[in-house]
Formats: sequence, structure tokens, C-alpha cells
Amino acid sequence: MTALVKCVVWDLDQTLLDGVYTESAVPPPPDPLLAGVLADLGSRGILHAIASKNPPSAAAHAARATGCAFAAAECGWGRKSEAVTRIAASLGLGLDALAFVDDDPYERAEVELALPQVLVLSPEDAADAGGWPEFRPPVVTAEARRRAELYAQRRRRQDSEREFAGPKEDFRRWAGTRISLGYAGPADLPRLHELAVRTHQLNSGEPPGSGAAAPGTGQWFLAALAAPGQDEITVRLRDRFGDDGLVGGCVTARDPAGAVTVRLLVMSCRAMGRGVVDALLAWLVRSAAREGARQLRVPCVISDRNVPLRLALTGAGFRADGFRADGGGTAGSTATFSREVTGPLPALPEGTSAPGEAGPGEAGPGAA
Amino acid sequence: MTAAEVADEIRRYLAGATGRPELLTVPASTPLFGRGVGLDSLTGTLLLRQIRERYGVDVAAEDLNLDSLASLASLAAFVAERVGASGASGASGGSGAS
Repeated sequence: MTALVKCVVWDLDQTLLDGVYTESAVPPPPDPLLAGVLADLGSRGILHAIASKNPPSAAAHAARATGCAFAAAECGWGRKSEAVTRIAASLGLGLDALAFVDDDPYERAEVELALPQVLVLSPEDAADAGGWPEFRPPVVTAEARRRAELYAQRRRRQDSEREFAGPKEDFRRWAGTRISLGYAGPADLPRLHELAVRTHQLNSGEPPGSGAAAPGTGQWFLAALAAPGQDEITVRLRDRFGDDGLVGGCVTARDPAGAVTVRLLVMSCRAMGRGVVDALLAWLVRSAAREGARQLRVPCVISDRNVPLRLALTGAGFRADGFRADGGGTAGSTATFSREVTGPLPALPEGTSAPGEAGPGEAGPGAA
Repeated sequence: MTAAEVADEIRRYLAGATGRPELLTVPASTPLFGRGVGLDSLTGTLLLRQIRERYGVDVAAEDLNLDSLASLASLAAFVAERVGASGASGASGGSGAS
């Protein structure tokens, strides 16, 4: 399997169109940058489709205005994930062959959560997507090659979870969820880099830029491996449904003032809702306390896409300092979330094994 | 719309989304994270999306620390304040957390 995108599904209002169709006296023109992307990708044999909360005339307008023959168009007021699903079916494509572009972060989150196989992009991402491996013959890691298999496991897990009566923790215990934290080695670096590029919802940084030493690149992860005072942590996840492999990681740095700073934290959205980011944050607090640190800090880009990470940080007792919560908008900046590591320490979720910790709760009831 | 009415709608949403009917009757002071409702990054994201769709309030954009998610009451008050500001009756009924 490859992760090659075979069809891009576009939102119209303020994405492919430079304006809002129903609010404009004259139908808005196409966004010039994205119209160029449309043509560029089209020339590589990639299909285009439309998913828009607009009357069908908007799709006809977009086709005329861009000169693009869209392979499918879904216009209506239902969920975008359902529109994307219908488009995939009508074109006979797997969902993992689709990308979805929308300016609205909630539409993106909805599609990302409902259809994790789909590559979800903001218009800014889409503008340079032509250079991404998903739009060219990809270099894929073992995890990426197994993506289709992993999503099949995920479907089976979700079906079971729906039928399972009782709290989520009980389901995780029944499913034999095992979260393994460890120190990274060189073999882990391609996957960590891939996570830094591909994950958006649980990512404390920006997608790595083109500079080789920028946070999140392979070279940056390699340098962190050897750097004194820094640790590179990997997180693996498996249960009775299958082995997800390496789903996340982070790089930490200790400073003489008694703080541990998480320079970058990335986690696959496939692992969301399975206690994994919570396990990592709890262990980081416990580990910092063991090292005698007083504070754990997580500098975090504030974007509309990584709200799930902010939820995890807030839930784990972190607070962002020096930031006005005055309704003036929070996007586009960096805030440092921090937590004192003195006092009562958080417990690791059941089934978690990690350096410096006792075994993964082998005495836990229901352990398979 | 009052905070108490918003709180009831949030209870119904959470009970449906998590399959836990006991959430229909939890007190407004119940914490949303941790031992209370047990919100995590996934259920929290779904809840914020629901609030945005239902009330037009983008909690994450206005509240960096997500203080409004401290409890059912604080979230309901946060939402009701903003919904109330655009015409409906003011917020009441929630014992807003600090």
C-alpha cells in the first residue's frame, strides 16, 4: 500500500473560492494560489472533487472559474465526512487515497476524527502539498506501509468498543491495551520525523520546515539523540486487535534551573482516545520528579488544529502562563504550558510500561 | 438561554457520546476532566465541536487554558454568557468555577 493521494476533495467557500458563494453579489473568483495547485496536481493525474455546504450551482461555478473538470461534487448541508465517503465510493477509491482541504478547522477536525485514513489539509498546507510525498511516489516507513492493515484493526476495535457496555477504562483493560514508553534509537527516527510531518492534532510544534535542523526533521531528531541533557522518548501501542507500533514520541531537555522542557511532542491521531498521550504526560511528570526537577514545561504552538493536545495538557494539570484569555483570539502564537512536579504525582494508566517504572500492571484484573 | 439549560443539553450530549447514561444526572459542579466526566483529548474535541455547532461558541479560540472546561457549570456559564450576549436572556444557574 502507498499513501499516494489519488483525489483531492475541496471545500469551496474561502478555500478554493476567494470568498463566500452565497454572500457575494458576484460569484467569488478562485483563490489564485490554489487554482495553481489544482492545475499542478491535475497534471500529475490526481483527481479533484468538491465537498461544499452550498447549492449545486456553486460547484458548477467553481468548475467554470477554475477550468477544472471535477470528478465528483457533493453539495449539501450534511457532515463533510459523509460527503467525502460518498465521493470515495463514487470514484471507487479507498479513503486513504483521498485528501481533504478546508479552511474551517472544525470541518477538518470532523473529517480527521471520522475518517482518519483521509489526509486532512488546511488551504495553507494544500498550497505547498505538491512537494509532499503523498502527492509523489512516497518514501514510506513500516508503519505507513501497514496503514491499511492498521485501519482495519481500528475498525474492529471501534466495533467492539461500541458493543462494550461500561467505561472506556474497562474496555481498554479488556482489550489488553499495552502502552510502552522507551528511549529512542536511530531506527526510530524516520517514524518520528514522519509523525512530526503528518500529525496535527497532537503536535506541539509546527510541521518541520525545509531547513535540515528545524525541529521535527530527521536530522533534528538525530542531533537530539546525542545531545547531553536531552532525552528522546518513543511511545508504542498495542492491544488484542493489533500492534500499532510507534505512535508517538517527544524530545525533552533538562536545564540547570530545575525545569524539564518538552521541545517537541508528537502523537498519531490514530492513538487518540486510547489513553496514550495521557500516559506520556503522566510519565514525563513522574520522570521529571525522579530527576529532581521542579517544573515540566511544554512550549506549544497555539493553532486551531492542535486543540486535542491542549485538552490533554489541561486534563493533565498543565497551565499556560502569561497569556490573556480575554477572548481576543489565541491562534497563531506559542504558549508555554507548565506544571509543577512536586506534590502528588499522576498515576500511569493501567498497562503502561516505561523506564524507571514498575511493570505494566501484570496483576491487573482481566489481563489477557 | 440560561446556563442551567445549556448544562442540561451538555449532559445529554455527553451521555449520548460516551454511552454513559449516568452523566444525565451528574451535578453541575462535576469536573469535566479526571474523575468527573473523564473527558480526554478525543471526547473533549467532540464536545467542543458540538458546542460550536449548537451555540456558535468557539471555546478553544477564546480560552487558551480551557478554564471553562473545569466543570460542567463553568462550561455552561461560559457558553450561556456568549449566547445570552446575542439576544437571549442572561446566564444564571451555574455556580461558575473560579
